[in-house]
Amino acid sequence: MSSNRTGEIIFKKVSKKYNISSVRHALLVELIGNLFNPKKENYLNKKNQIWALKDLTFTINPGEAVGIIGRNGAGKSTILKLISKVVYPTLGSITINGRIGALIELGAGLHPELTGKENIFLYGAILGMTRKEIKRKFDEIVDFAELDKFLDTPIKHYSSGMNARLGFSVAAFTNPDILLIDEVLAVGDISFQNKCFAKMDEIKNSGATLVFVSHNPEYIKRICNKVIWLEKGKVKKIGKPETLLKEYLK
Amino acid sequence: MIQQLKEIFKYRELLLALIERELKVRYKQTLLGASWAIIQPLSLTLIFTFIFAVVTTIPTGNVAYPIFAYTALLSWTILATALNFASFSILNNAALVTKVYFPREILPLASISAHLVDFAISSSILVFLMAIYKVNPTFNLLFILPILAIELIFALGIALLFSSLVVILRDFKFVIPLLTQLWLFATPVVYSANSVPENLKLIYKVNPMVSIIENFRKAILGQPLEWNGLLISLGVSIFTLIIGYLVFKKLERNFADVI
Repeated sequence: MSSNRTGEIIFKKVSKKYNISSVRHALLVELIGNLFNPKKENYLNKKNQIWALKDLTFTINPGEAVGIIGRNGAGKSTILKLISKVVYPTLGSITINGRIGALIELGAGLHPELTGKENIFLYGAILGMTRKEIKRKFDEIVDFAELDKFLDTPIKHYSSGMNARLGFSVAAFTNPDILLIDEVLAVGDISFQNKCFAKMDEIKNSGATLVFVSHNPEYIKRICNKVIWLEKGKVKKIGKPETLLKEYLK
Repeated sequence: MIQQLKEIFKYRELLLALIERELKVRYKQTLLGASWAIIQPLSLTLIFTFIFAVVTTIPTGNVAYPIFAYTALLSWTILATALNFASFSILNNAALVTKVYFPREILPLASISAHLVDFAISSSILVFLMAIYKVNPTFNLLFILPILAIELIFALGIALLFSSLVVILRDFKFVIPLLTQLWLFATPVVYSANSVPENLKLIYKVNPMVSIIENFRKAILGQPLEWNGLLISLGVSIFTLIIGYLVFKKLERNFADVI
């Protein structure tokens, strides 16, 4: 096994459990339980737990563009959250090599009171860029977002489309080894969407790994060369987009 | 542990960006802006002066009451902001915590750091107060820095502890403000620690803020410090930081799940 290949994602027997109990102290009960019993036995009523992912094993190789499909609640977004280390697996292990760029719900971290310019620096830092790096790419980002006239406007006066453009543009210029995209193309007009696709192609062609979650088979076909089909938190099939999408749409 | 410190260092630019955000946003759309940093401790000083120097009198060892209270309030405000702002820093940044990875301890750290600017602003008033009440600056003023360092260690420990606990259990939303109020009066801010009866002193001094506040005041007023108490406070502060950090790390994995 080769180790530490930049842009690689390995899931080994990954499971993710959520507590859906309305009882606030459920987690506390479980944590305290785990302190005394590290074997992670269940202290809670099973019906209050949901396994969003169960026993998932797959590898995404550097440079691959992978689409994740499946019905609502199949666990697609949970996979992206696990890759971006926002949530942790309940069981199993995940190996990620390289810098992650995430286009997940663009604009988390944008502050309404700050201007467009200030937000570019803030959001860039949140996505792991240095100040220097942002300065160097600043003009490109502004140019791409088409917001040069509104740089000194607090973004609470922006439209939602302008917000999304700002978010996408900063994220697109982070030079990630792994780019995560979650259904963000729904915002923005057609011309901006096309620009986004062109940018994603560019990132893909630079050798980065792409993980793309979408309900839209057209988008998947356009970008991906591999598809992971999820059903109820498990991998149903992995394969080429053309064949798998046909089967999925049946 | 070293690994985690490296990770925080790697994200130092984010820490700076968040401090900048906090400073830029805090006084936006306010008329008086950063003067609020002065108005708050000053108005508390006024009301405390009214109660404890006009309505009733409490012994301050021949120190004018306004400067007696203001020096202590300056120092106290650091812990109070750690409790009231840094403790809610994870909760208030839920949008970030559920979407982007970064070392989570950066949030309480940024909150405390940003409030140090307020501390600096409100400290400037001291110069006037010292002139008015004829307190001569002494070499002791230099000791403010190590005392401040001890308090920051303690405040960070408290902020880590409560910022993670409040995410898991919202009862702490009510516990924290209540605790802040009780703690203020359990600490010699409006009175002197000398007024506490001897038989209670042992349990009284379990609170590390007692030595921190007393010595902070002494450093400004040019009185000799009590090093023993300060050393014990340092020990308790480091212990608190370690406990706070361990609890934070234990709960951190669940933040995005339950926030």
